[in-house]
Amino acid sequence: MFAAGCDVGSLTSKAVIMKDGKIIESVIIKSKARPWESADEVMNIVLNRAGLTMKDIKSCVGTGYGRDKISFVHEAVSEIACHGKGARWLVPTVRTVIDIGGQDCKALRLDDKGNMVKFITNDKCASGTGRFLEVMAKVMHLNLDELGEMSAKSKQPVTFASACTVWAQADVIQHLNDRVPIEDIAAGVNNAMASRMSTLANNIGLERDVCMTGGVAKNSGVVNALEKQLGIRIKRIRREDPQIAGAIGAALFAAEKANGGAK
Amino acid sequence: MIKEFIEASTALNNKYVAAWKKDGKKVVGYTCSYVPDEIFHAAGILPFRVRGFGATDTTIGDTYFGPFICSLPKCMLQLAGEGKFNFLDGAIITPGCDSMRRLDECWRKAGKDIEGAIPSFFFHYGVPHKYEDYTIKWFTEETRRLIAAVEEHFNVKITDANLKKAISVYNESRRLLDRFEALRTLDEPPFSGEEALAVILAGTTMPREEYNTLLEEFIAQAEKSPGIKNRVRLMLVGSANDDIGLVRVMEGEKALVVADNLCFGSRFYTDQVGENGDPVFELSKRYLGHNDCPRMYGDYQRRLNILEQKVKRAKIDGVVLQNIRFCDLHGAENGIFERDLEAKDIPCMRLEREYGPLVETGRMKMRVDAFIERIQQRREVA
Repeated sequence: MFAAGCDVGSLTSKAVIMKDGKIIESVIIKSKARPWESADEVMNIVLNRAGLTMKDIKSCVGTGYGRDKISFVHEAVSEIACHGKGARWLVPTVRTVIDIGGQDCKALRLDDKGNMVKFITNDKCASGTGRFLEVMAKVMHLNLDELGEMSAKSKQPVTFASACTVWAQADVIQHLNDRVPIEDIAAGVNNAMASRMSTLANNIGLERDVCMTGGVAKNSGVVNALEKQLGIRIKRIRREDPQIAGAIGAALFAAEKANGGAK
Repeated sequence: MIKEFIEASTALNNKYVAAWKKDGKKVVGYTCSYVPDEIFHAAGILPFRVRGFGATDTTIGDTYFGPFICSLPKCMLQLAGEGKFNFLDGAIITPGCDSMRRLDECWRKAGKDIEGAIPSFFFHYGVPHKYEDYTIKWFTEETRRLIAAVEEHFNVKITDANLKKAISVYNESRRLLDRFEALRTLDEPPFSGEEALAVILAGTTMPREEYNTLLEEFIAQAEKSPGIKNRVRLMLVGSANDDIGLVRVMEGEKALVVADNLCFGSRFYTDQVGENGDPVFELSKRYLGHNDCPRMYGDYQRRLNILEQKVKRAKIDGVVLQNIRFCDLHGAENGIFERDLEAKDIPCMRLEREYGPLVETGRMKMRVDAFIERIQQRREVA
């Protein structure tokens, strides 16, 4: 029995196909302007790679911003619940999940059975989201991957006074003009990102184990800085790409649905 | 029938207001639920709750207010500046909160800068922040000052007999709304939370006798209507909300807002005004004492008890504690409500939003959906 999860996010779209609790195939693409176009494309790619058609998928759950606009899903579930579900599958001992996506970030707490106890999302602006890092990396002419790695080489990270993405961008330009080493600026950017996220995470109260999902979980600079600021170890997800955690959660919900209820 | 209420609650200068004005009668707007409608009813004036609904930007509001101010008074001033409140013959401002108090100064200044932005009668009505013997006395005097000002400006006489008649009409309305509330909290309510808010809001914009007639018909019809089944039951608490669209977004296909504690909602009709004794004193006592707004000091425990009672009575599955950005009163109190209600195993979700056009629906819906999923998970576990 094949089950699928389709996570249409603001920056990337992800699809996962599972069979008997194992991932058969997964795909990440850049999102298009229309969520249904992103959903169709990512699903077609993942089905092709798995050598399947939509008819083979017994159940499919959609999540992400575009979840209500996907024609082929049987049910839509919020990305908060899906990230919780996916994170627990990836790290069975997890009780706190920190997810930083393209344009939002969230923290959620689970009970010992994986049920959502509490959650919070950013509600003010893009600060503390993947878009923040993307903007800063672009100004510094770096790839997103490089931005994360550079933190380790920094000796004196800069401090950003403002939480505003636009003003922080102006600060980055100022530091570049002042010939501040790029490693120190990159570390400052990662620290600023971690700082926004730690405020949110502390708000719901942390419980061990803590893990991070979403694209930013692949940025070691942010994860290390966040670990330091929260004073708690963050378990690294190595089983799968943490960016597909939401799609995994959606696929797990789909499998439960196909099996007639929660398992 | 519900169409009448929706129209009256979503159009500022609705057909009832237009008909009232056509007859040459006056309309006075007020910004806060602490202003007794009965005073205007007794003067033959239509009381109209001023709203910010329908503002599509805040360019005028932003000019007069600072950036760190709740967007509700900004939207009100925006509409005033755009001439949308030109049908008002007067406006009453209260110090409901600091942002709302500043509307007094900002509207007066805008009135000097923009022709026709301010009505000819403009009154600041002081409301104490405590409910004590001496504050009721002070508030009664302030209410007499308001009455005198209305009498002088509009050349009318507000007699005790007319006040008592108005109190009786409004109490009848409150009794009807109690019946309406009982239907709303049924296990299978015959109308949605969106419709419920439309019914309540219409009462702030319509002549009271017509409203009572319409409300009675609505209740009779609802009593025979089939109920809505299998929804997660939510209670909406916090900052002012006069947008039925917000409730629609929250309810979606899975939830129903079956109770609230909002000043544009059930707080508007809670408790009767005493019909014996000095009518000005009785009005002052009810409006100051039974409004349950966090602007009142030292009254948190009572407000918490009210929420707990509502949760029990309406079989609430979850409480949405929302506040408009920069609303210190509700923002702070929602945090304490969340702590205390969650400790009693009542699921809560805090939501900060901007007042005005519903532009954040995607993110808001995602959070409400997750909250509903959290509640459903609890049910499955139970």
